[in-house]
Amino acid sequence: MSASKKKILEMLAQNKISADDAYKLLTAIDSEDGGRPSEGNTRDGKGNTGHEPFIDNSLAGKLKPKYLRVTVTPKEGADPENVDRVNVRIPMALVRAGLKMTALIPPDALNKTNDALREKGINFDVKSIKPEDLEELITALGDMQVDVETAKGEKVKVFVEY
Amino acid sequence: MNWPPMLMHIKVKNKDTDFGIWIPFILVLLVALAVILALSPFIILAFIIMLMVGAERYVRLTLWGFWVAIVSVWAMKGLNVEVQNFKEHVIVSVM
Repeated sequence: MSASKKKILEMLAQNKISADDAYKLLTAIDSEDGGRPSEGNTRDGKGNTGHEPFIDNSLAGKLKPKYLRVTVTPKEGADPENVDRVNVRIPMALVRAGLKMTALIPPDALNKTNDALREKGINFDVKSIKPEDLEELITALGDMQVDVETAKGEKVKVFVEY
Repeated sequence: MNWPPMLMHIKVKNKDTDFGIWIPFILVLLVALAVILALSPFIILAFIIMLMVGAERYVRLTLWGFWVAIVSVWAMKGLNVEVQNFKEHVIVSVM
């Protein structure tokens, strides 16, 4: 049994989630294929683009985010010869590792960043960001979803996958 | 156990080229590990000299950077970048 399934069953046993929620989560894990959502586990159940987050927002806070996804899909019916498609999947562990690199930023660069922020009217000390703050930030990313539709009809989505 | 990435797939497709390569990432990691082990006496010596001249901050940063590099490589498993426009189709995938 995978750790995720065990955790879901533990949450069910502790009455943190309902049986329906547990069923949805277990189904999502079973049908997950290489981290990509497949038909039936998208939010609308249609599996239309393969780029939809496949979990309810109400459950998002109960699981750890696994991937940060950025997708750009063209307008339906657009000329296939003239479309841009982007599909990026970044493991959250890589995002965490990248944030750890902030410790390697020289203090002078941090001071310059603070000065630049102050010039823009933002009174914030980037040195005050602690590793636990970054961890909290990553966890909070689970609630984030950005949907943008451009004038050309392209859909840009930034979301977190579990 | 969380395994390190085994393979990296890079594919570039355009009008003139259809290029794809599978890189055995695990072999690259093993070679890198062997090189580091071979150079370890010199690395340790360099650290000792740096500590003696009072540059412990750089020793700490180097060790931290090395650790972050290992963690980053480990965390790359599952990374997938796919960009397609009317000219080119590029795929970078780590598995």
